[in-house]
Amino acid sequence: MGIFVKSYIKELKLMTHDIGIILFLAFLPLAYPIIYSLIYNPEQVRDVRMVVVDHDRSSLSRELVRNLDATQEIRIIGYAVDLGEGKKAMNSHKCYGILEIPEGFEKKVGRGESSPAVLYSEMSLLLRYRGFLVATTNVAQAMGAEILNEKISESVPLAETIISGDPLGVENITMGNLESGFDSFIMPGVLVLILQQCLILAIGMTGGAKREKPWLYRDVDRATAWGTLKSMSGAGLAYLTVIIVACVYMLHYVPLIFRFPMAGNPFEIQVFILPMVIASIALGFCFQAFCRERESVFVLWVVTSVAFLFLSGLTWPRFAMGPVWHTVSDLVPATYGVEGFIRMNTNGATLSQVSGDYIALWIQAVGYSVLAFLVQRFYVMPTRIKALKYPGAVPIP
Amino acid sequence: MSGFRQIFKRSVIQMTGRPIYWVAMFVLPLFLMLMLTNMMESGLPDKVPAAIVDKDGTALSREITQNLGSLQMVDLVDQSNSYTEARHKMQEGEIFGFFMIPENFEQDLLSGKSPTITFYTNMTYFVPASLLFKSFKTTALMSKAGIMLNIAETAGISADEVVPMMQPVNIVSRGLGNPGLNYAIYLCNSFVPCVFQLMIMLMVCFSLGEEIKYGTSPRLMQLAGGNIYKAIAAKILPQTIGWWVMILFMESWLYFWQGYPMHGSWWWFTVSELMYVVACQCCAVFFFGVLPNLRFSLSVCSLLGILSFSLAAFSFPVESMYGGIAIFSYLMPIRYNFLIYIDQALNGIDIWYSRWWYVAYIVYMLLPFTLMWRIKKDFEKPVYIP
Repeated sequence: MGIFVKSYIKELKLMTHDIGIILFLAFLPLAYPIIYSLIYNPEQVRDVRMVVVDHDRSSLSRELVRNLDATQEIRIIGYAVDLGEGKKAMNSHKCYGILEIPEGFEKKVGRGESSPAVLYSEMSLLLRYRGFLVATTNVAQAMGAEILNEKISESVPLAETIISGDPLGVENITMGNLESGFDSFIMPGVLVLILQQCLILAIGMTGGAKREKPWLYRDVDRATAWGTLKSMSGAGLAYLTVIIVACVYMLHYVPLIFRFPMAGNPFEIQVFILPMVIASIALGFCFQAFCRERESVFVLWVVTSVAFLFLSGLTWPRFAMGPVWHTVSDLVPATYGVEGFIRMNTNGATLSQVSGDYIALWIQAVGYSVLAFLVQRFYVMPTRIKALKYPGAVPIP
Repeated sequence: MSGFRQIFKRSVIQMTGRPIYWVAMFVLPLFLMLMLTNMMESGLPDKVPAAIVDKDGTALSREITQNLGSLQMVDLVDQSNSYTEARHKMQEGEIFGFFMIPENFEQDLLSGKSPTITFYTNMTYFVPASLLFKSFKTTALMSKAGIMLNIAETAGISADEVVPMMQPVNIVSRGLGNPGLNYAIYLCNSFVPCVFQLMIMLMVCFSLGEEIKYGTSPRLMQLAGGNIYKAIAAKILPQTIGWWVMILFMESWLYFWQGYPMHGSWWWFTVSELMYVVACQCCAVFFFGVLPNLRFSLSVCSLLGILSFSLAAFSFPVESMYGGIAIFSYLMPIRYNFLIYIDQALNGIDIWYSRWWYVAYIVYMLLPFTLMWRIKKDFEKPVYIP
């Protein structure tokens, strides 16, 4: 049996027998997306609580409040006597917005004078503010149009014929994430990120495990170029074999379960993600250089997920990043993986339409494989072989 | 030298001698802090790439194009000829939305056929698309207002009368604390402390678990004279001091140098940050007591630490989550740190309203006492389970 086959089998055995690695390759990709998606699954921020300070107490002000309460975004929980009482409700975390309607609101509107109501919004969570903004704009416009029509027909009967039909329609159409849901926005990207991270974590932990017990791997560890290549590619192929299940599950079934937009071709998506998986496996082999023990991966790698999330441009778009961060994000497989995947999955792009990302991923796959080979050949393998020669060289804290 | 001081010294030597502690306690948190604050320095991503599909090609449609192009938030990178072309550009990621002026727009408008302006925004990218939506809508409504003004004037109403009539019901929105919708303020103040929580908890479990893994815990117990409280306290204290320095640096970095809003009292906020470090550590000791094993406890801390970024409701509010999930939001110390930040730094309200969040910290500090007996048992007879 050649080293390649031996290494492949050995790696599979290690994966299926070490609970830590099983956790990264099975629990993480299978359970984590479910937990994560469930958190955001309600998708919309509905009925954010608001208090009204109505100095006008007119039928128009009451109509305004009723209309706001009727929107999906806002729930009016009550009236406050003055702004002070409203503030008190806000400070006690009972509401997140205060609407102050000025005195003479109805009169001024009737006279055609400007008399704006003021919405004070708490700004800790921008989604709440966004809901307030959308709802108030819509309500103000709808009520405004109604009043306008009445008034114009009153004052200039002639103009009505021109205006009543609304001279110009304005329509917004949302693309991709059709209902602007939060889960559908963030999760598809996070899925790709989880895929990358679970591979790197698992391979890092294997590196630690091998470093702790080098004698178990003496038949596949070689300090020659050819030997390293065969041993490493055998192990790498083992990860590729195992992760296929996770790829199909995370990129197809999870979106299906949670009804994320799925506009892409499922086969093309799998073809697209392949180079990212290879690049992540190779990155894992590079990362092994830093893993002296199995548990180092938690301390050294888990937190990078946060960095990669931001680098992927999911929350803060890449076009707005400075040159430094843009370059750093170019180096991360998940950046292109996320970008390409959400465009295929959510916007229905074809593989040829994401060719830029696809090519970048293949360049990364090749680049990181070469780097991984060098790291394994000149650091990881020699260290293990050396540790074998001098037993007891296992690090003690 | 007393046992406490001996263990303290031993712990300092262990920490300073291993690169992993330096990386985990200083390099990674500092890197993430600088990265997040620096990346979002401009506050809002302006110049969102967009396109216009002008099928009309008249003076009026060109004027609308110019108005759109002059907006700070929009970068008109392209003039597409058709909807299909623009949609393809969107799929290829070149643009985040487009604005469409239909054929015969001007003619239809003048003949009263009421044409429709349509704008498309790619909500796959939430933030740029929301900003684009705002700019598109403004442009569309401004155009509409201009047109209505013209019509009204031809009908004999003066412009002075028409302008307030354009928007009879007007609601002005004021964002308290962060009026400019600054994204750095919105995200860094929650994400950076959450990074701290993750690393603080991991380091506690890592350092305690290593004692068991390498069988050095009996020596630790011996130094402490068999007193587990002394052993743990002395073992963790050097980390506490390190994290205090780090979190005070974080506080100054965010609220002093970056100038993020600090509308309340620095004093109470500092107390919160210092208590937060200890609360996170005690929470980790508690988890270690539940699972006195290096890898198990690290797994739990990683899992909960990363989930905290979503569970603690930094972006999606707790009250919108499913009830069964929302209760977990209050499981981790970061939630209370976030609530104190909102009350004390962002909104600057009276400390009275935040009193419960401080109590929560104290509860975390008491948690480990329930399981010390278990850690003691495992420390005295360490068994490493890989």
